[in-house]
Amino acid sequence: MDTSELKTTIDMAMLELDETQVASLEGAVGQMLEYFALMSGIDVEGVEPTTHALVTANRLRPDSPRTDVDPDSLLENAPDLEDRLVAIPNVL
Amino acid sequence: MWDRILSDARDEYARFLREQDAPTASFLEIGAPPQWSAPVSAEHDDALSASRPSVTFPIAVKDNIAVKGYHLSCGSRMLQDLVSPYDAAAVTRLRHAGAQFVGKTNMDEFGMGSSTDTSALGRTSNPWDTERVAGGSSGGSAAAVAQQLVPVALGSDTGGSIRQPAAFCGVYGLKPTYGTVSRYGLVAYASSLEVVGVLGSDIDHVADTYRAMRGEDAQDHTSVAVPGEALQPAAADAVKTIGVLQGDLGLDESVARNYAATAEALRDLGYNVVPIDLSTLEYVVPAYYTIAAAEASANLARFNGVRYGHRPVFSENPEELMRQARSEAFGDEVKLRIVLGTYVLRSGFQDQYYTRAQKIRTLIRRELDARFGEVDLILSPTFPVQAFRHGDQAMDAFQQKVADRFTGTANLAAIPALTVPSGLEGGLPVGMQLMGPAFSEEKLFAVAGRLATVQPVVFPDGSRSFDEWRTANGAGGGA
Repeated sequence: MDTSELKTTIDMAMLELDETQVASLEGAVGQMLEYFALMSGIDVEGVEPTTHALVTANRLRPDSPRTDVDPDSLLENAPDLEDRLVAIPNVL
Repeated sequence: MWDRILSDARDEYARFLREQDAPTASFLEIGAPPQWSAPVSAEHDDALSASRPSVTFPIAVKDNIAVKGYHLSCGSRMLQDLVSPYDAAAVTRLRHAGAQFVGKTNMDEFGMGSSTDTSALGRTSNPWDTERVAGGSSGGSAAAVAQQLVPVALGSDTGGSIRQPAAFCGVYGLKPTYGTVSRYGLVAYASSLEVVGVLGSDIDHVADTYRAMRGEDAQDHTSVAVPGEALQPAAADAVKTIGVLQGDLGLDESVARNYAATAEALRDLGYNVVPIDLSTLEYVVPAYYTIAAAEASANLARFNGVRYGHRPVFSENPEELMRQARSEAFGDEVKLRIVLGTYVLRSGFQDQYYTRAQKIRTLIRRELDARFGEVDLILSPTFPVQAFRHGDQAMDAFQQKVADRFTGTANLAAIPALTVPSGLEGGLPVGMQLMGPAFSEEKLFAVAGRLATVQPVVFPDGSRSFDEWRTANGAGGGA
């Protein structure tokens, strides 16, 4: 991956890195991608991909209200609150 | 013994935990006794509860599994201050069975590592030699068991994160069949690969803990029911044939020697030990890391500092807040895997990497299915080397990944695998891995139980059981 591709990918991953960090990451990413290239050594023509090895179908739970997690206890972990709303910087 | 300690000597046991944890720092948090138990509602109970074993011992929990009232840091600055408002499904089931949860153990950040040294919150060491790592990512759980602080600890295993630290510390480590233990309350890293499992110093404790946790759960749509015939304990002679891998496996001399000795011990115990070949083994690690990184990039997208987790001191707008939060709070290894995962999922690269890895996953499953038509179980090393030193350049982050080939196989194929302690080499423990087809946990326990008669668990010299500690401190008498 060249540096410009790497920077695009970092941006897509919602990260913000300085030049030193990008340079350090570039070496590690390159080493892994080179290693991933080993996968071209095996013939996968006509093979179905496995997404989940034992799961065959989606399953949903009943659409019913739950009482085991208290919403107020969830809000206690919010970094910034105004009343019972999570506060963030101004959008505009 | 443990039920009496947990009813009559909790304060003393808490003091023992705090004192004896100091050399290895396996815990990130040790709870005060009132925090150890909590009422459980009948809402989560299920039809199997009556048949579940009693698990009345103290359990430590890896810090990526939710225990109400404890932190849930995942070893990361991102979630350092997060306190869990709920219990994981596995924890709820164990509470029903009588367990008490004494604390949370250190881990590689979000489970990404093989040493526990990528934790942002502290350094855990191996009880056998504190200059060495405990393994990872469930290194704190393995060290806590080996140090005799707890008989059992929970971990999670995405590519070997229970089995490798178990081998490094000389204890048992079970990665169950994918889906048999609910992932509800396990902070997701690579959802199609990971599972909640058990580390312990006694195979019966490990087996009972698994039996108390297993079963389908409406809160995790990937959970599966264990088939009826696989629920009952198996006899050790239900297993006849065990396959051992042939050829150059790239092992350190000490591990190779131990592998041969363990195969010989199984032969002496009456098993038919036969050579087998796994031709897909060399593709395990690249396929595993491609899939794991892809899933990690999606799963960790939720951590952005808005609703919980690290938030920067000041940001101009919401997007800057998210970028700063992630850049400030994630460590280097996490950033590497998120970027790699984002790349292999990008339009134009997906077929080359992610889809190809998923197809290789199919080939690995097929080959294992074929082998399990020939043998009942497979014995392999857990890891090619023994516990390495903190900062060992020969085992840098890349080499640690390459070494995951034996353990990653079981995650890609969704099958159960158990690390069994197999003695000492050069004063450090070695562990071997038994793998079986899906739902064969009971067979793994049975063979491990028989193997324990000739290769018992040993504890490091510096460790003390609670009883030994009490006696040395003048309390006298066993609990």
